[in-house]
Amino acid sequence: MSGAGKRFSKLQVFSDVELEVGEREVLAIIGPSGCGKTTLLRCMNGLIPLTEGEITMEGEAITSPREGVAMVFQHFGLFPWKTVFNNVAYGLKLAGATRAQIDEKIPEYIKLVGLSGFEHYYPYQISGGMQQRCGLARALAVEPRVLLMDEPFGAVDAQTREILQFEMLRIWESRPTTMVFVTHAIDEAVLMGDRVLVLKGRPSTVHEIVEVDLPRPRNRATLLLPRFAELREHVWNTLMADARQAELEVIR
Amino acid sequence: MTAQTVAAARSPVPDAERSSWVTSPLFLKIAAGIVLLLIWEGVVRAFAPGYVAKPSGIVRVFAAVISDRQFLSAAGQTLSAVLIGLLISIVFGTAVGFAMGRINVVERGLRYYVNSLFATPMIAILPLVTLWFGYNADARLAVVVFAAFFSISTNACDGARSVPLEYLEVAQSFRARPFQTLFDIIFPSSLPYLLAGLRLAAGRALVGAVVAEFFVSIPGLGYYILYNSRTFKHNEAFIAVIVLVAVGVSFEALINWLTRRYLPWARRD
Ligand SMILES: Nc1ncnc2c1ncn2[C@@H]1O[C@H](COP(=O)(O)OP(=O)(O)O)[C@@H](O)[C@H]1O
Ligand SMILES: [Mg+2]
Repeated sequence: MSGAGKRFSKLQVFSDVELEVGEREVLAIIGPSGCGKTTLLRCMNGLIPLTEGEITMEGEAITSPREGVAMVFQHFGLFPWKTVFNNVAYGLKLAGATRAQIDEKIPEYIKLVGLSGFEHYYPYQISGGMQQRCGLARALAVEPRVLLMDEPFGAVDAQTREILQFEMLRIWESRPTTMVFVTHAIDEAVLMGDRVLVLKGRPSTVHEIVEVDLPRPRNRATLLLPRFAELREHVWNTLMADARQAELEVIR
Repeated sequence: MTAQTVAAARSPVPDAERSSWVTSPLFLKIAAGIVLLLIWEGVVRAFAPGYVAKPSGIVRVFAAVISDRQFLSAAGQTLSAVLIGLLISIVFGTAVGFAMGRINVVERGLRYYVNSLFATPMIAILPLVTLWFGYNADARLAVVVFAAFFSISTNACDGARSVPLEYLEVAQSFRARPFQTLFDIIFPSSLPYLLAGLRLAAGRALVGAVVAEFFVSIPGLGYYILYNSRTFKHNEAFIAVIVLVAVGVSFEALINWLTRRYLPWARRD
């Protein structure tokens, strides 16, 4: 991704974003609310076009959603009229899978995200955490080489969020893919990422990229490492200067 | 028996509960119905000529009318016209409504016409319809379609327009083709609106069919009512009215049942 920028009529959301994500790398992107994280991911997915620069994947410019990339949405994006099973099967079905392939694969992914037994429930009958497990299974089911995660656990309560983070680490270990993980939670960014990219400024730019040299596999014990606390502190300080300023602007 | 009496005495029922059957909805419904029927019967007997419909008269002719071939064929014709008209309206009304809801150019072009036609009283166009289609069953079908079409297309349009952007984003992200998005997302997401439109359309279609029969004089329940009223057979005419009411109420119940059974998710918001 080079020289990428996006403007909505007058609002320049971000500009001069330069970044590269390696194969099987997890890049965590962190930034305050409204800084354009979702917009950036949408551009990476090819849902909306950039206004400057370009994004390439495997050597090809991204102009529309392409095969091999799947997104997990902040808003879950489950269809209320479909059961968990059919929601998970949605992407695979669109990719042209046969009934037999679907019947074979979908239970596997439902099991992977821990939703076995809930196949025939409707989204409104399950909790927010379970809904996002469903959204995750839907994305994983198309076996993407790149996973785009837009604050996937932003809309669930704190406790569920922690559980889902470790679930996510477990799932990633079992099938590592390239992943761009957007979040506004510092712990989550440091826990998930091989690198943490801090988006900051107005318009947003890449303020800093922090290497996260924590060992994998990561799990609950990772949170107790002194190095984790250091990195966390570092990202916190980088972000907070910005947040203070934003707060001052609101007061004024 | 003694044991039962003792048990009942030992667990006294509170006053409110003991008298509850008197205030139960079912009892009140039946009681109110009986009272209304009695008033009707009484008033007609006291003040009206003998041919005016009254409950006892309706009961007397009921079996004969219900098994009368002419009556059955009239009911069949009216109801099949309503059903066919509704089917035509569902298919084309949904198509037009979806096109309006999703394609701005279509919406801007058609909005005023569809809204105006939706608001047009169907009785006003009846003379014109008979000129175009002749005094026959086609005119009735045309009136039914006219009555039903616009409530369905208007609702389909609203439904298609209110599809949450999130769903469309997900579809786009998973590389859905336009017609897949139409059937996988726009249609199910609009279903609550479509059913609401259908409920409205069914009532209007029934009225349209009856009014067309009055005007065009073709066999059907409406004409049956008209003919029997004019020949002083009010009891017979009233049975046709009852059938029309029953059809309207059953259709309403059917749609409610469909909503509960197949759209449990739609009741949450
Ligand atoms: N479709 C759009 N049209 C106009 N402005 C938008 C649109 N989508 C997002 N924005 C604006 O872009 C900015 C960044 O939004 P977003 O990417 O959702 O931020 P984040 O995900 O970091 O919270 C916000 O100010 C938002 O109002
Ligand atoms: Mg966002």
